[in-house]
Amino acid sequence: MATTDHPTTDAPAAVPELRNAGTAPATRRKLFLNLPVADLQRTIRFFEALGFTFDPHFTDAKATCMLVGDDAYCMLLTRPFFETFSGRPVGDPVAQPYLSLALALDARADVDAMVERAIAHGGEAAGEAMDHGFMYQRGFRDLDGYHWDPFWMDPAAIPG
Amino acid sequence: MHVEASPRPTIRDRGRAPVTRRALVVNLAVADLQRAIDFFEALGLNFDPGFTDASCACLLVGRDAHVMLMSRELLGGFVRAPIADPAAAPTALYAIEVASRDEVDALLERALAAGATHAAGLMDGPSMYARCFRDPDGYTWEVYWMAAAMRER
Repeated sequence: MATTDHPTTDAPAAVPELRNAGTAPATRRKLFLNLPVADLQRTIRFFEALGFTFDPHFTDAKATCMLVGDDAYCMLLTRPFFETFSGRPVGDPVAQPYLSLALALDARADVDAMVERAIAHGGEAAGEAMDHGFMYQRGFRDLDGYHWDPFWMDPAAIPG
Repeated sequence: MHVEASPRPTIRDRGRAPVTRRALVVNLAVADLQRAIDFFEALGLNFDPGFTDASCACLLVGRDAHVMLMSRELLGGFVRAPIADPAAAPTALYAIEVASRDEVDALLERALAAGATHAAGLMDGPSMYARCFRDPDGYTWEVYWMAAAMRER
């Protein structure tokens, strides 16, 4: 998750204009992030080690549903199955990144615990810990190279 | 459809709801932040001004589900690599569930009117209906409705 105090470069860009602003969704919708993985079973074991739950009703030989939060799901798909949806070969998330995944955790210590479990189960540390006092973040790459940033933010520091 | 010989994977931690709720924030690089904001607002989605500045904007999707639209420079700094083209070599797809078949059509039409293009992936069955679009940055989104019975099976 981005903080608003990251260093700015060059001429300051204008803050964008919002027409539909709020602190909660106007209409709650479920978000499914579909990610291709090389080995479904290995990836399930990895994220189970990080404390995630899976929905057996949406699990078969080609896909599984990882439960993250209310309205928040990751569908992990085999690469061939993903390609039936994308119509294109799967890219390399390390060499050709265009997204990263952040996870809000309840406590600062949970961030370190998750990253350490990820590393113990075959993940890699990514970048350095970012410590702003009111916010703490550490990154890891999962078995397929996706960049995850567990973070904790002091509830008192959340705007709104 | 691809047929796999591999067996159904085994799950140790199973459930219908997360044991520990965590908020998911998908950070996506966009070429023009204002254009991306205008696009998603045209779809009826809203943004949190507390997490919006000149290089990022927080799109509110669900209770624990957020998409942080970021400048390519900002995301590139986090992942420490130049940002690629999501349409050329996709490594993720995004799906949003809505409450009815009509809402799928309505959201797709609003997306097309706001500059999206059609993407393959129409699914039209008795218990599921899905249509896909590609947003102005090349991300593919699926909008779908699923019958409650299918979820409870």
